[in-house]
Amino acid sequence: MSVLALDRELERLEGLWADGLSDSYRSYLEAVAGHGPAAEPKLALAAALIEVGLRLQGLGGRAAPPPTLLMGDLCLARASRLLADAAGQSLQVAFAQAIETLAAAAASGQQARPVRELLVHAFAAGR
Amino acid sequence: MISGRLRFDTSHATEFVDLTERIGDEVQKAGLRTGRIHLQSLHTTLGLAINENEPLLLRDFQHLLERLAPGDAGYEHDDFTRRFEVAVDEPVNGHAHCRQLLLTGFVTLLVEEGRLVMGRWQSVFAVELDGPRHRQLAMQLDGDFSPSHRVGKSASRSKAGWGDTTAELVEMEITRQLMTDPDPVALPMRRLMEAGGKRLRPKLVQLTSRIGPTQEPQRAASLAAAVELLHNATLIHDDYVDESTHRRGRPTVAAAEGAERAIAVGDYYFAKATRLIAELGNASVATTMAEALEAICASQIDDVAQRGAFPGDHDSYMRVVRGKTAALFAAACVSGALLSDAPADVIEALRRYGELLGIAFQMADDMVDFSPDSGKPIGLDIRQRALSLPLIYAAEDRSVGPEVRTLLAGSLGDNEVDRVAELVTASDALRRVGDEARGLVEQAVREIEAVELDGLRPTLVGLARSAVDRTA
Repeated sequence: MSVLALDRELERLEGLWADGLSDSYRSYLEAVAGHGPAAEPKLALAAALIEVGLRLQGLGGRAAPPPTLLMGDLCLARASRLLADAAGQSLQVAFAQAIETLAAAAASGQQARPVRELLVHAFAAGR
Repeated sequence: MISGRLRFDTSHATEFVDLTERIGDEVQKAGLRTGRIHLQSLHTTLGLAINENEPLLLRDFQHLLERLAPGDAGYEHDDFTRRFEVAVDEPVNGHAHCRQLLLTGFVTLLVEEGRLVMGRWQSVFAVELDGPRHRQLAMQLDGDFSPSHRVGKSASRSKAGWGDTTAELVEMEITRQLMTDPDPVALPMRRLMEAGGKRLRPKLVQLTSRIGPTQEPQRAASLAAAVELLHNATLIHDDYVDESTHRRGRPTVAAAEGAERAIAVGDYYFAKATRLIAELGNASVATTMAEALEAICASQIDDVAQRGAFPGDHDSYMRVVRGKTAALFAAACVSGALLSDAPADVIEALRRYGELLGIAFQMADDMVDFSPDSGKPIGLDIRQRALSLPLIYAAEDRSVGPEVRTLLAGSLGDNEVDRVAELVTASDALRRVGDEARGLVEQAVREIEAVELDGLRPTLVGLARSAVDRTA
């Protein structure tokens, strides 16, 4: 994905790029290998947005203040749209299940596996 | 297989709670036609029994249990000095455990033709042995579920009874989905969804899913249920953001269970809804819904950002409402039509219809805040400084505007809220909003005039008009 295209996907979330989103994005590039040059950056960004979005919301920890929660919500929604654009059905399902697992654990007060581990596993499961 | 929990409270130390009717209801709700329902007590002092519900006989049973395991017989279990890790609230209840040993902890009931197979005098009891307490039974239903879960092509083609059947289908689908989820997320969502809601968005999905040549009611019901779950997931986060204490007459999830739980429940159902949509295997539907969700989230941020300039103006109102409310209405219409393989011109007309209807619906919702018949306290939007077109118009009004603006700029106690509501009602604001909402509905109706809707136009027109002509 060109820098310009990536910029477009970061609309309203630009501030997050320097605040951990870029590092998270890079960490998923290896996991998305094999999904095709057009899809790979979108999928890596989707995973990074989920990771950052859940962290912003404070899922499984202390609740974020409302404006931060809404930013986290937008990250998840953007990720969902990127997945709808670039992922096959099985990968979309695997990602959704990963979030369901994390949210259910948070609601039960239980410790969940790390987000990144679950999402990397989702890439493998959804291949 | 469907699983869930059956919860109830007991009020006496020993008590026979007849659950026959509730179990029958669960069978009906799940749409189980032929199969089994398994129930298992999750407690060591709660038994299960099948017998006759005759009050004197129940007293006989109680006396029998008391004779076999008297309360004052002295039980080693009650000697806390000899036990390890005794909880501070550990009850003296050796007798109750021993009585439970005489009963069973599980039952399986057969289901035929959607009904429990029970003898004339048989009832299913949970037997409380150490009450009063809050109790729950684990429940699993398996077998063949209702034909309405798999409506065949011929049934789907029939116009007669469509409304009732499909409304039931989506309710059953929602129930089925909620029954499969873990309790910590399912219970708050169930409470919210059981409290009401107009189910307009799923109705739009189901209606528009009938327009094209491919009609699959079960897939439409899955999509409709996902849309409703998604809508409610956004409400749960909204209520935390708005610090709302009540919705549909009940405490919000955030108020009842805390912000952390509300965030988790919202996230769970956001993810579940997107999964259900993905599982339909229609890429256009998935993209449509994801774009709508993105629009909702972006406009939520705008909405909160604009509160500094409360009550705002008409343009900013429209910008927020297009995303916050209208996007999902439009997506509901489009995705249903996409599922049915409707022609592109029809889908585009329905998108415009849905968007206009969504805006009009939000305006009507704003007016409800000033209606004494709404069942809600008047002026909730004022108190929460929520976006509201009547407030915007009242603030612009030549006669009441200055006072409204002054009041809204200060802190809003009961007196101030009452006074603002009074000024809005006395002004022309509500009439203007009502006229504008009705105008948008007529525009929405015109959008679908020129396209072929397979006989569903009157229903869509009626639904649009009823969405704005309401007081609650």
